[in-house]
Amino acid sequence: MTMMFKRAVLAGAIAAVVGSVSAEAEAGDMRIAFGDLPGIESIQTLAAIERAKERGVNVELIVLNDEDLAAQAIVGGQADVGIGAPYTLIQKVGVPIRIFAQISTLRFFPVVNSEFYKDWKDLDGQEVAVQARGSGTEAVMVMMAEKHGIKLGNISYVPGSEVRRNALLQGTLKASIVDAANRRALEAEAPGKFIVLPVEDLGASDEAVFATVEYLENNAADVDMLVEELLKTGREITENPAAAVELRNKYKLLPDLGAEADKEIEEYYKETAEAGALALNGGGAEAAADDFAFFSLSGQLEGDPASLKVEDFWHLAALDRALAKLGKK
Amino acid sequence: MATNIRLEGEAGGLALPLRRDAVGWQDRPILLRLISIALFAAIWEIAGLIPVSFAFPTFSDTLVAFFGLLADGSLPSAYLSTLQPLVVGVVLSAFLGVGIGTICGLSRTGEWLIVPVFIVLQSAPVAAFIPLVTFVYGIGMTAKVLAVMILALPVIVLNTYKAVRNVNGSLLSMCRSFLGTRWQSISKIILPDASPVIFAGLRLGVAAGFVGVVLAELLITPTGIGDVITFHRSRADYAEMYATIASIIALSTLTLVFLQWVEVRVFRPEKRGR
Repeated sequence: MTMMFKRAVLAGAIAAVVGSVSAEAEAGDMRIAFGDLPGIESIQTLAAIERAKERGVNVELIVLNDEDLAAQAIVGGQADVGIGAPYTLIQKVGVPIRIFAQISTLRFFPVVNSEFYKDWKDLDGQEVAVQARGSGTEAVMVMMAEKHGIKLGNISYVPGSEVRRNALLQGTLKASIVDAANRRALEAEAPGKFIVLPVEDLGASDEAVFATVEYLENNAADVDMLVEELLKTGREITENPAAAVELRNKYKLLPDLGAEADKEIEEYYKETAEAGALALNGGGAEAAADDFAFFSLSGQLEGDPASLKVEDFWHLAALDRALAKLGKK
Repeated sequence: MATNIRLEGEAGGLALPLRRDAVGWQDRPILLRLISIALFAAIWEIAGLIPVSFAFPTFSDTLVAFFGLLADGSLPSAYLSTLQPLVVGVVLSAFLGVGIGTICGLSRTGEWLIVPVFIVLQSAPVAAFIPLVTFVYGIGMTAKVLAVMILALPVIVLNTYKAVRNVNGSLLSMCRSFLGTRWQSISKIILPDASPVIFAGLRLGVAAGFVGVVLAELLITPTGIGDVITFHRSRADYAEMYATIASIIALSTLTLVFLQWVEVRVFRPEKRGR
């Protein structure tokens, strides 16, 4: 509830801020639009932004309620860099934006109530709840069902991982799919009551940075710094997940969450790093291929994934420069 | 419009008899309405062609998308599911609202106990606490009906309450002087005299109910219209998204016009004019 409420309040406040921000950015200025309220999963990005600031990029953070709005703000010139994975928009609407680095890959956890189901086979013909029609969560469930040779029954749509978590706890839902934070909350609040079903590596982008081609070409120096710092923080946290907490304390990130979030952040990044979900090399063509496959399956991209061209969605110059400087991992 | 002028003319002692004969184009309401709709569509088309935003389709694209949605059955089936919580919520709100409003209007205790609750509800930013409903009532039909009622009930209750409270005093005195019982004064004087404002409240309640059901379908679980809107938005099919939004606005408007027509035809013959 607090989350939803906060979002609503923030969205209102941000609408006011965005409206008042002038459309013209000066050199060295970078307005970054988050498509979602930053949570513990954003520590890496936020730290990279702080480091880019230290190197002289004047970053202004804008938090929006929805990824679409971030893309809209970029196209409208009210923000320079967006965070999300706007493949659909690029393909369907042909907006002049390109992804220039991947931050992290998707991680979802199908969770079932252990009283009713034990593994994938038990879900044959059963009702499951996912985020929304045509969402990544639905694609994961359908993909896994196919892999295990079962057919899911009715798929219902319940937006918000935290809403599905509560419904699972209340018993309204028996099988659903949640994100990492809510999976851990489920395990903490009702130990042993739920079983997390195995999912193979998805590899698709969860968060990536994107901007207009024009901005990327005219502000290469700023963009390079951001990409380099994103790669560095990703690598640092993957090597030593405790670094996430250090970064948080150093840059005083997410102060609202208080000191008690440190433990959660450490656990989150330990798990994420083990799963290899933080992009060490910024994605690039490889990530694009994975994304094409996944988003085609989920219906967000149209056409044969093999026929989609990387350069229609990605702008690789900044990433190539950063990798040349930092080396590939 | 023409009927209104006639009415006022008669009430004012036939002061405007000439107007009746002057039937120019500006006296044809249907023509005027069609022109205004065409103008709106033209402005929309131009705005879509500029375009004001990459996410803003033209009117013609939207119209095509609308018929596409009708043809593939997604819009009819969406309405079928949206109308359930809407109708249940609005009907419950109408009966409950008029009942509660009448009680509040008739009794001081009721007024002090109940009216503040509805004043708070009416002025509260309801969208912010619709998600709360899910925490108590889950994600099913109950939550959606409740969302409709949260929006529809206050306006119906408050309108009824004000109408009942402000009934013409001399009519009540008349009823008393004819030795009317309490029940007779309610059924023969108070409710008929309050009915115009009660009906206005019901119309506003229905409009609020539409807001409630769409909010519920966007914020609680995407079913029906809410699902069609979110789905096409996630797929960047903006023409379909706007077509759906426009269709619910149109449906809401038509419903209100229809209710007004029913009100005048069936319940208030004195307003018919002929």
